[in-house]
Amino acid sequence: MQTKKKGPILSIHNLNVWYGDNQILDSLSFEVQPRQITALIGPANCGKSTLVRCFNRLNDFTPNFRFNGEILFNGKDMYKKKTDVTAIRKKIGMVFRKPEPFRCSIYENVAYGARIAGINQASQLDAVVQKSLQRSGLWDEVEPILHGNPEQLSIGQQQRLCIARALTVEPEILIFDEPCGELDPIETVKIENLMRDLRNDFTLIFVTNKRRQAARVSDSAGFLYCGELIEFGSTEKIFTNPQDTRTEQYVTGRLG
Amino acid sequence: MAIFSMTRPELRKKIALQGIAFIIVGAAFIFLWNTLKKTQAANIQTPSSSRISGTLPSLLSDLNLILPISLLAVLFGVAFAFYLEEWLPTTSKVRSFIESQVAFFVEIPSLLYGLLAITVLFSYADVSKEIGTPPIQNINEAGLAAIPLQHNIAMFYAETLVFIFMVIPVAIKTTQEALRSVATPIRESAYVLGANHWQVLANRVVPLALPRILAGGCRAISRSLAVAALLIGVHIPGTRGIPDRFMLFLGGALLLSTISSFLIEIYVPATARHG
Repeated sequence: MQTKKKGPILSIHNLNVWYGDNQILDSLSFEVQPRQITALIGPANCGKSTLVRCFNRLNDFTPNFRFNGEILFNGKDMYKKKTDVTAIRKKIGMVFRKPEPFRCSIYENVAYGARIAGINQASQLDAVVQKSLQRSGLWDEVEPILHGNPEQLSIGQQQRLCIARALTVEPEILIFDEPCGELDPIETVKIENLMRDLRNDFTLIFVTNKRRQAARVSDSAGFLYCGELIEFGSTEKIFTNPQDTRTEQYVTGRLG
Repeated sequence: MAIFSMTRPELRKKIALQGIAFIIVGAAFIFLWNTLKKTQAANIQTPSSSRISGTLPSLLSDLNLILPISLLAVLFGVAFAFYLEEWLPTTSKVRSFIESQVAFFVEIPSLLYGLLAITVLFSYADVSKEIGTPPIQNINEAGLAAIPLQHNIAMFYAETLVFIFMVIPVAIKTTQEALRSVATPIRESAYVLGANHWQVLANRVVPLALPRILAGGCRAISRSLAVAALLIGVHIPGTRGIPDRFMLFLGGALLLSTISSFLIEIYVPATARHG
């Protein structure tokens, strides 16, 4: 488990991102504090996903991706040459909007991360799988069908399976890219409670376009609009006393 | 694809069902084999009175000629497609060049490649002189035709040319399409767990793409068999050189296939990219 650090775990300085000639993000700067839930809110197509995909270098696969600026992870520039990208991705996990279980059993889905990390003994794998599933609150539901097909699970359960899968590699930061975008309200509540539990052990970055959800769950929040970070601060401040008129309009529902 | 999403009982059931199908097909094959053996040379006339005739030796000769090199060609094509699709960036000029060439060669009918091969055979080994008395008269102990060395070399050239231009492009194209069929989220959800490129390929992409890759390989090999069928047709006793009508046909077909492959190259990728 990660030791508590005083400084920010992730700091972004003057980040610019282009796809070809199209500028997606325009000089963003903010800091993510450890063991907190940081929400990034904003309307669709404002660059939220592009931003979080910069944090684990998933944008490297996007053709025409250009990057300018600095992202420090634990004080180290993660875009420096000779950076071990897979090591960074192990430390910074991610859960996508649409749950995408691998086409193998539930057990193998969860065990895959551990296998990649080099754990191959059956007893160790069993322990890791059980721990991750318990943490994501899925153990009681899937224990009898552990070697069954994940497609028989509901979409909310599949999403929690994906969270369990991300937990096996013991990341420091866990990015949730609109995890409730496809879920019904009951499953959404389960995921939100799960995120509150996970805050004790992980740093969470949470992308959403639902204002109320961000207000319920997060500790600090940033409002993105058309590629610019309009405002960043504690959730309370953003939602009760915003400095920028656009933020006020967005959180009160008059914009976006 | 479905085999990887199955649980064990489902898999067992599937294997049992396929076992039944396998037995039925096997029985049909044995029946067919016996019937073919009985027909002997009644319908299939070899050019001269040779000591052996019938389906089996011809079949074995065909397979002996085609299988080893076509397996090699398919392996090479698959490996090359992996390199193109997984290691060369989409913006690479080399990649777009090779892809357009491949698209061209895939469109050309296999018939033309057979004629290409026969041209090489005629010009390098002068097979035409011996067409009345083909080398099939010299039979070795294995029952296969012993082919003179000079012909062997010419055949090697002919085969190599045919396979470079015919089998490898098909293998490349189908493998690339198989790799593209694996959705990006599946790759990404493995990458975010810290898997490297090789692990993602070996654990996630190849198991899903394998059925399509194998189907593509079969398609490529069956294309080479089609050429063999053509060679039998052109191998008319007493003919010297390639008949004029074949040359005429070759020209016309080449023109048509060029036009069609250009049309496909222009329209299909454009719509596929935006789709």
